[in-house]
Amino acid sequence: MTVVPGMTELTAPYWEAAREGRLVIQECRSCGQLSHPPLPACPRCHGRDLGWREVSGTGTVYTYTVVRHPTHFAFADTIPYAIALVELAEGPWLITGITGCPPDAVRAGMPVRVVFREVTDGVTLPYFEPAP
Amino acid sequence: MIRKAAAIAGIGQTAYAKALPPAAWELAVEAVLAACADAGVDVADVDGMCRFTAPFETVSEAMLVRALGVRELSFFAQAPHGGEALGAVVAHAAAAVSAGLANVVVVYRALSQSRGGRFGRADRAGGGAGESTADIVVPEQDNLSFAWPYGLMSPGQLFALWARRYATVHGLTDEDLTRTLGTIAITQRQYANSNPAAMMRDRKLDWETYQNARMISEPLRLFDLCLENDGACAFVVTSAERARALRDDPVYVLSATQTLSPYREPMGIYTGGEMLELFPPAAADRLFGQAGVSRKDIDVAELYDATSYMTLRSLESYGFAADGAGWRYVLDHGTGPDSPLPVNTHGGHLSEAYLHGMNGILEAVRQLRGTACNQVAGAEVALVGAPAGSATILAR
Repeated sequence: MTVVPGMTELTAPYWEAAREGRLVIQECRSCGQLSHPPLPACPRCHGRDLGWREVSGTGTVYTYTVVRHPTHFAFADTIPYAIALVELAEGPWLITGITGCPPDAVRAGMPVRVVFREVTDGVTLPYFEPAP
Repeated sequence: MIRKAAAIAGIGQTAYAKALPPAAWELAVEAVLAACADAGVDVADVDGMCRFTAPFETVSEAMLVRALGVRELSFFAQAPHGGEALGAVVAHAAAAVSAGLANVVVVYRALSQSRGGRFGRADRAGGGAGESTADIVVPEQDNLSFAWPYGLMSPGQLFALWARRYATVHGLTDEDLTRTLGTIAITQRQYANSNPAAMMRDRKLDWETYQNARMISEPLRLFDLCLENDGACAFVVTSAERARALRDDPVYVLSATQTLSPYREPMGIYTGGEMLELFPPAAADRLFGQAGVSRKDIDVAELYDATSYMTLRSLESYGFAADGAGWRYVLDHGTGPDSPLPVNTHGGHLSEAYLHGMNGILEAVRQLRGTACNQVAGAEVALVGAPAGSATILAR
């Protein structure tokens, strides 16, 4: 059993890009505002011409927690695991998981880069790992 | 202006326990009847109801009106965001009374977590999932679909993220953070130990037990997280004039404030800005300004504590300590009966019971009536506040 994101017209392009190994963020074509998660209109200029910008996939850990008690039985076999809020080099924040190092090694401010983890046949989630 | 236009004339609650035989509907009935009896009003005369939105509140107004034989409601309203709505329901009730939309408004909250929905037990959703191994598809609502797939599913985990951020920004060592959160948890447990209604009344908590408890979501340990339980609370809001006619000790609503800004919905994801769970300073100023009181007038505070960190942060949010100085305040002064501001004098959600802030309102009423177990001598003004969504100031 896996917990997977429901996809809507608004969010599907994000997850489809992840399946292709690309990290994209919604961008306002009028003013350049980046929004994550995606919105139906630009919150800055109210423009409706919205597209997707492929971002660098690098960032830093803004904050994190190491989960040692599963809130949900779907995660019972994955504890301990690290959840992080990552600040992308381009600005937006993402909720994500940290992989590629023991959960205890995660630190605030740590440089990280995106990796893609296929969790089911149809779904790939962007995770982050320590950047070299 | 709702200042002193409305008052709380009655409070009622059920027992609080890990599991109670009655379902939430029956618990709600019991609490509402107790509140009406305490107020001296006939439940048939109730003409307004305020509550949290589903799924936080599963008992609808329609269910209660039918079960209680209420003749007719002329006003009913719901507030979103779970416990963040604790002041919102007071605001709605007081506004309805002062605008003449209703005369006797019942606010209620009923919870039956033993029947599902407990975060701490890793429940199978709905209990009917059986052997199913089907994937769980997270609906795109409040951005949950961007959080749940990574295992970020509970407020405890969310506030662990913020507690870590707090420690990072303000330079706390792990030891500093542990001492601070532990002081809050242990103090609240001591209050609960002298509260006969508290689930933890007979369970002492010392430093060794606190520190050695298992980590749930670092840096939060078992005792930093609230209880999960069954129970119900209710209170009756009516006009100040009617409340005075009903009883000698009405508790007046001085102010009640809601606040919502982008990305401040709980679990809504948190992008841009800094420390977004902070109750906005402008909203806190509005709360105090409308009440016509200052911080130093507050005699007792009941601060929403799904985690001990929220008590700490709320001391700053409401201006009892400067931004980033709350932890030193807690270490220097504490939140106990002899501190400058006793906090969560019933034991709070950590040690009395978890009723989404409604038990905090009931405790504030008891403090202002002078009937609390851990009575703050001469308490005249109380603040009941959520971490980010709403708050109320009450006075005798």
